[in-house]
Amino acid sequence: MAAHEIEILLVEDNPADVELTLHALRQNKLANRILVVRDGEEALDYVFCRGAYSARTLDRPPRLILLDLKLPKVNGLEVLRQIKSDPRAKAIPVVILTASKEERDLMDSYQGGVNSFIQKPVDFDEFRATVKHLGLYWLLVNEPPPSSAFSWG
Amino acid sequence: MNGQCIHVLLVEDNPGDRRLILEMLAEVPGAPFVLEAADCLASGRERLRVEDVDVVLLDLQLPDSRGHDTFLAAQAQAPHVPIIVLTGLGDEQVAVQTVQAGAQDYLVKGQVDGNLLARAIRYAIERKRAELQVRKLNAELEERVAARTFELAAANKELEAFSYSVSHDLRAPLRHMHGFAKILLEDVGPSLDPSAQHYLHRIHEATQHMGRLVDDLLNLARVGRQPLHLERTGLNALVEEILTDLQGETRGRQIEWQIGSLPSVECDPGLIKQVFTNLLSNALKYTRPRERAVIEVGQRAADGRGALFVRDNGVGFNMKYADKLFGVFQRLHAQEDFEGTGVGLALVQRIVRKHGGEIWAEAELDKGATFCFTLGALRRAPAIDNRMSRGAAWQLTR
Repeated sequence: MAAHEIEILLVEDNPADVELTLHALRQNKLANRILVVRDGEEALDYVFCRGAYSARTLDRPPRLILLDLKLPKVNGLEVLRQIKSDPRAKAIPVVILTASKEERDLMDSYQGGVNSFIQKPVDFDEFRATVKHLGLYWLLVNEPPPSSAFSWG
Repeated sequence: MNGQCIHVLLVEDNPGDRRLILEMLAEVPGAPFVLEAADCLASGRERLRVEDVDVVLLDLQLPDSRGHDTFLAAQAQAPHVPIIVLTGLGDEQVAVQTVQAGAQDYLVKGQVDGNLLARAIRYAIERKRAELQVRKLNAELEERVAARTFELAAANKELEAFSYSVSHDLRAPLRHMHGFAKILLEDVGPSLDPSAQHYLHRIHEATQHMGRLVDDLLNLARVGRQPLHLERTGLNALVEEILTDLQGETRGRQIEWQIGSLPSVECDPGLIKQVFTNLLSNALKYTRPRERAVIEVGQRAADGRGALFVRDNGVGFNMKYADKLFGVFQRLHAQEDFEGTGVGLALVQRIVRKHGGEIWAEAELDKGATFCFTLGALRRAPAIDNRMSRGAAWQLTR
């Protein structure tokens, strides 16, 4: 993997949440190649190489997408749906990271094919531990999809 | 009805019978009747299609229709016009059938005089009017019920949206406050003077407390709107599960658990687990000053019903304040002595009531507390399987 490639795509509109998440990732040395986008449309542009990201190619997807549910323009569930229903992108691991643990959101997310669903804990120590676990798990422990999963020309 | 006149449509194919009825009605004192005649079902229906009459006198045996079908066809044409069926001697069975299907009355030809006919017509009109009024009121009632149901559904939806936004939107700024206070404590805390450190700790604690409040309130709201999932549940197994969950809170303490034999009940296991968890956590919390805590769980008779209880030898409370115990945000102890949000017992009460039961407490200051609750009409049922052999079997009747 080339050094300039993005490992984590963080889709989060709240600047405080962005800062806290980056702080937690940085403390665990997991924030080297992270891109923050502020709404669902930009997230989809990035994943599908459109708009500002049309120079990208689909065969170099992020290793992990951290997705908030409540987002401007296109909400998190719709972003999830578009990623998971497109053969070019469905292999990318998507983790919902949200304040909600409403049954409806859990249901919709799992029906939509989410790889993991995490409620952001109010306690910062817990939040930090959670971010550390999920970063280590998805970037180091988990075996990523093979590149052939993204070779669609 | 036009003023005093009663418009009568006579559907009758026999000219002799027609004349007879005409004459009878003409003899009635005051003669308020305006009579029209049709000689077959088709022309009778055509007349009804053009304009309403006040009453129809209907012969069932017509050239183009016979028997019960004649009535049904006429009724379909003018459902709000009263119909009196005219029948021959021996055809009364069919006539009774038409009355059951909505005819106002039937008269047997040859057994009728003017007064009887006039009275039958007036009664038929009044009965039909009353019937239509009842129908109209019913329809209005149904409409009102539908409107109210719609309003309630909308209110419910709004409430759900509200609790959703509480969980999502109120939690976010809390998380941020907590996070940044923590980062500040860690990054520059050591170089801050003690009072600044103290205030930072205070901010930190306050956000944690509010986080618990938000969670508890959401729980309380959720319990209110969730339907019960009833299932026969062995309470001994449930309590044992909770004791395992509570191990973190009991470590390093001397606690004597006295768990009696508990019944098997029809209940929502998740919710009843919450009840025991809250009561047992409270017992643990309020026995903290005791060197040796004694916590008892069992059942006893109360008003001839089985009540479950959790008793402790903790700090208790003054019964003077017993009525405040189950109110939301009501606390009987200072936050410094015993932490809490004041939602736990309110939640317990809500769950118990949802099961059709009651909860109450008995206590004395510094001498421990006992919380008793029933689950609806708990009554003894014969033990039917081994699962219940630990205790007597009980069941919930609703």
